Amino acid sequence: MVEVLQQIINGIAIGGVYVLIALGLTTVFGILGIAHFAHGSVSMFGGYLTFFFVTSWGFPLLLAILIALLVGLMLGVLIELLAYRPVRDANHINAFIVALGLTMMVEGINLELFGHEQVVIPTDFSRVFNFGGVTIPELRLYVILAAALLIAAMTVFVERTKTGQAIRAVAENRDAAILMGVNVKTIPLVVFAISTALGVCAGVMVGSLFAIAPGIGEGLVVKGFAVLILGGLGSIPGAVVGGLVLGITEALAAGFISSAYKDVIAFVVMISVLLFRPQGLMGKA
Amino acid sequence: MARNRTYILYGLALVGFVLLPQLISVKYYIHLSVLALIWVIAAQGQNLIQGYTGYVSIVQAGFMGIGAYSTALMGMHFDLPVWLSIIIAPFVTAFFALLTGYPSLRVKGHYFAIVTLAFNMVIFIVLMNFHQLTHGEAGITGIPKPGGKDALFNWRDRETYYYFVLIIAALMTGLAALIVRSRIGQILVAIRQNEDLVGAVGIAAWKYKLFAFVTSAMFAGLAGAIYAHYQSFINPEIFGIAQSLDAILAVIIGGSGTIAGPIIGAFFVVFLPEYLRFADSFRLILYGLVLVLATIFMPRGIAGIARDLMEKRRGRT
Amino acid sequence: MKLTAMTAALALMAGAAWAEEKTLDIGVSDALTGGGAVYGLPQTNAVKLAAKEINASGGIKVGDDVYMLNVIAYDDKANPTEASNAVRKLIDRDGVKYILGFCCSGATGAVASFIEFEDAVMLVGNAAERSITTREIPNLTRTRPPADYTGAAAGTFVAEKGHKRVAVLGALDVGFYASYVDAFEKELEKAGGEIVSREAFGLKDRDMSPQLTKIRGQEPDAILVVGYVEPAAFIYRQAVELGIDVPRYGFTSGSEEQFTRVATSEQMEGVWDLRPTELTLLSASENGKAYHANYTEEFGIAPSPSSPYSYDQTYALKDAIEAAGTVEDTEAVAAALRDIAVPDEVVMQYLPVDEKMFDQNGQAYTSNGAFQWQSGNWVFVQDLPSDAAAYSAFLSTLDD
Repeated sequence: MVEVLQQIINGIAIGGVYVLIALGLTTVFGILGIAHFAHGSVSMFGGYLTFFFVTSWGFPLLLAILIALLVGLMLGVLIELLAYRPVRDANHINAFIVALGLTMMVEGINLELFGHEQVVIPTDFSRVFNFGGVTIPELRLYVILAAALLIAAMTVFVERTKTGQAIRAVAENRDAAILMGVNVKTIPLVVFAISTALGVCAGVMVGSLFAIAPGIGEGLVVKGFAVLILGGLGSIPGAVVGGLVLGITEALAAGFISSAYKDVIAFVVMISVLLFRPQGLMGKA
Repeated sequence: MARNRTYILYGLALVGFVLLPQLISVKYYIHLSVLALIWVIAAQGQNLIQGYTGYVSIVQAGFMGIGAYSTALMGMHFDLPVWLSIIIAPFVTAFFALLTGYPSLRVKGHYFAIVTLAFNMVIFIVLMNFHQLTHGEAGITGIPKPGGKDALFNWRDRETYYYFVLIIAALMTGLAALIVRSRIGQILVAIRQNEDLVGAVGIAAWKYKLFAFVTSAMFAGLAGAIYAHYQSFINPEIFGIAQSLDAILAVIIGGSGTIAGPIIGAFFVVFLPEYLRFADSFRLILYGLVLVLATIFMPRGIAGIARDLMEKRRGRT
Repeated sequence: MKLTAMTAALALMAGAAWAEEKTLDIGVSDALTGGGAVYGLPQTNAVKLAAKEINASGGIKVGDDVYMLNVIAYDDKANPTEASNAVRKLIDRDGVKYILGFCCSGATGAVASFIEFEDAVMLVGNAAERSITTREIPNLTRTRPPADYTGAAAGTFVAEKGHKRVAVLGALDVGFYASYVDAFEKELEKAGGEIVSREAFGLKDRDMSPQLTKIRGQEPDAILVVGYVEPAAFIYRQAVELGIDVPRYGFTSGSEEQFTRVATSEQMEGVWDLRPTELTLLSASENGKAYHANYTEEFGIAPSPSSPYSYDQTYALKDAIEAAGTVEDTEAVAAALRDIAVPDEVVMQYLPVDEKMFDQNGQAYTSNGAFQWQSGNWVFVQDLPSDAAAYSAFLSTLDD
């Protein structure tokens, strides 16, 4: 029993990261219909920046994250304006290929600026808590709490604020939203800014709890999309449930079935959902 | 008239390919040309699903891997002659494509891409971890050439292999052209343009999509099998997602939805890195930039631009 | 260009005017970018350093001729296709007959599969996959011993420590890591021990707590961590975080800095690394110290522990060419390679078999060492019990 609980705790931390990545992807997909494949690499860029500010310029962690967030916001807006907007009215396949190209570019830039050695954002949380045999490192606990906080904030933003309601209106019916006076030119920018900010937070979490290295971002974005398929495209509750399900499935699969094939097992779960419930766990039929 | 002109162009291109080895003095470039011709086969397949049907599949290299490993393993374990295992390899690939195509094609657009990408990851992980069968990362060495020591041709000679691959690439290009011109091809293009409409007139679009996906996988399987016997060595590294992206790049750069496109694109992706060496670590950034700019500014690729130019000239004279 | 000018000048100073001076191109195929560059780039530098030293001390003497070495290096990105392209280019276009480098197993395996049919000699460095030297390819030699040779020594060592139940966590999808574990297991079982579980992780995994949680439940006497440094460092840290307090052994060959980036020195305290002795300043010979100093001066960065594998290749090649008395006849040079004694200039500590550097498989053997993390540093504790002659005989019985 302790082992099962421990595995669930293990899975929640990485699951929280998946949720944050998936939230960014799902809002972009819901509003713009774009599979923003470069999201993982952009998120890692944010993590790298934080690392750079902390280690090279000696900034305190929170300040470094704040600056990385701002740069991330701008980068998100730039990507929308320069890369996605020109192909918005073309066949959807073009937007996806642009996304692939962007991924290569951002990965290349990360490699050029930060090198190929792995990077760990230094923190000074090294205590380990023990609850009746189930251990949880301090840092892991904070990452889980921060993820929960961000998810709550995101939900409040979409449900309660005016901009959030406009975003939902565009997602549900673009033409009606225009008629109601929603500015459809700025909404994509807002969406990209928010999604990138969430991604940067995920990047910081990965970078402090684990490490940032070339290829990690691409791996994460694939998991993020798997979460979307699991949870339902464009659905925020779906992203939350899907992310946690994926993270915990991976941990349980590694612990009780096979560590070599844990990713395969995660994908098999995704494909089965696709076969029996194509709209996802939380999606509307 | 226009069709005649096209045939003449293809004829000339073929003559060029036949003469190519005689024009190249450094054998290294023949080696690269063999690789490029193998990529032509894979890219023609990719073009069927991506260019004509409008579904980006990111598993082409994974399917090449299935073809490559199946021909190598059949040769090792069942003592099949090389020509036979090369012929069977695409069918093994087709089996896996059927298995994976059915669930993936339940989702549209971007999500099809993601699901196929997940398949490529699964194929890669299995190739890496299923040691008893695949030897993992160490790979399979000593895969035999099509002819033995006393064969009619010297298969160790790259020129021989070049002509062998050229014949197959030409045949497969012909086959792709046939498919595209048939009723099936027209329906595939209709699916790309408006899938709902295709469904509305009572055509079961999913059958055609599955056909395009499985056929494209068979092209990849064949390309992979030929690659395995050419290099005599395979390991999972060369069948990862990066190579699947190369297949997509080949189609986009060359000209998606055209028959000439994948040929141009395949040579482009094989020879481009050779000439980008000066850029060294910036290569990845440049690659991405080329992809983004090409999609925004020349969505119909090199073949599309060439056609536009030709038509413009004809209009003027 | 600069190098040629410099070597010409140096040769003049050496007063080699009586002999006709020629240039011998030698090729390097290695990972200069990408993940493998950690190993490939230092190897390439090491060949350049050795070539420069050889040129400065009068070049390679063949009959009346003196050859100055010129290094042509291509990036194979540790990728099999790229590696065959690089070697094809060296042989077909640049007319190179001697090819060095080769840090990584996949790329090396691809080249090894066709090199037998080429008029060339291939000298493999850091690539540890055993099958590279099991087929007795006549024109291929390797300086680094296969991983299972080291794994057997490690198994004996751990068994001698009295451990009976060992849990393994490794990059088992990588062939040579798996073969290290297989050889380790064989020796452990001889002493009545067993491996209680074999858990795997991938190159990009950084959260190994699920695997470690499982291992914790099995209550082993010791754990063995086998894999690349970057994930391995996380395993050592997460093992402590999960409260696993049994001895930790490993086969990772990482530097202090690579580990402290991830784990604190306290979390690392007491960890063992059981690996080829390679280059560490603590265990280095005079040659090793000189190599470290010269390399650092030349390239502005300290050499990696495994980089001397290719430095030593270059000197082995020099001795073989001089022994064969030809640069044209690659068959003669390849045969001479299998016949030379260990050159005086080498950095690694080779254990010659029949007084020869390479055995009939073309394989060289170094000593293996047990290193332990003690207050912030890897400390060389003792040699591992390694039997090069017995392993060499065993290797000859394999052929796949």
